[in-house]
Amino acid sequence: MAHEHATHAPAEHHPGPGLYVRIGITLVVLTALEVAVFYFDFPQIVMTLILLALSTAKFVLVVGYFMHLKFDDSRFMWLFVFPLVVMAAIGIALLALFYHFTG
Amino acid sequence: MQYVAGIDPHRTSTGLSNRKMVMWAFLGSDVLFFGTLIGTHMVYRGAGAGPREELLDIPITSISTFVLLMSSLAMVLALAAIQRGNLGSFRLWTAATATLGMVFIGFQMYEFTVFAHEGLTPRSNIFGTTFLVMTGFHGAHVTVGILWLWSLFFASFKGKVRQATSLDVEVAGLYWHFVDIVWIVIFGVVYLIGAYGAEAVEGATHAAARLGLG
Repeated sequence: MAHEHATHAPAEHHPGPGLYVRIGITLVVLTALEVAVFYFDFPQIVMTLILLALSTAKFVLVVGYFMHLKFDDSRFMWLFVFPLVVMAAIGIALLALFYHFTG
Repeated sequence: MQYVAGIDPHRTSTGLSNRKMVMWAFLGSDVLFFGTLIGTHMVYRGAGAGPREELLDIPITSISTFVLLMSSLAMVLALAAIQRGNLGSFRLWTAATATLGMVFIGFQMYEFTVFAHEGLTPRSNIFGTTFLVMTGFHGAHVTVGILWLWSLFFASFKGKVRQATSLDVEVAGLYWHFVDIVWIVIFGVVYLIGAYGAEAVEGATHAAARLGLG
């Protein structure tokens, strides 16, 4: 059973220190890219999209590998992802409504 | 009952560790909490007179972001060490994680002090209120994490942290990585996008004035 498998041997399925260090280096590189993008003279919409993409990549790497959500039971993932989706939807709706009614 | 490394010994109806389940449920609720704080700040960030985004120090905050990311790496290395039964390595990486967290809090205290000298306080305008409440709550979460990590560090000398109880470290690690991902969002959205696009949120000023929040 998939759930049983994930539950009874999670430690064995976690990546080793080598991969963790590579993920850490990737996170530093992505952060350096974010800061570099900030100092470039991009149009605001372009810069916003690039920064959102870079932040999302960092977020997914930490949650997936450091928090082991990629390797753990999928029920843990839904417990976390569902409120994340709800929050993102509320945030987008709030910002859209706010700017629509205030110009 | 057989005790397997990293596994909660208590049988549950889901077959999953109840402690990990509770931690993930708590983190899910904390997503809503921080989402509310960040969303409120984004809506009102351009509102009101007085010091605002121009005070954000991107180079300094980039360094503190680097420090927190490295603390997350140290945390996961501490977990890997205890799951392999390497107590010495666990202590080293746990102490490194907590120390890096303390450095991060030092950066935040420096930032808040500079803001106060420049006239930005929770009372100065709605930017100050939403920004300081949001980052203040994040700092409080980091502080709780630091205390938790030091307690694990000292408990390891009393034999309470070992390979068989590595789930305790894993649950603490989930909390610590969560404060890291919250900061990833705050740094990207509030600091970088917020500071860059400050001039594009004039609408928020008008709206706040209408609502009497200026």
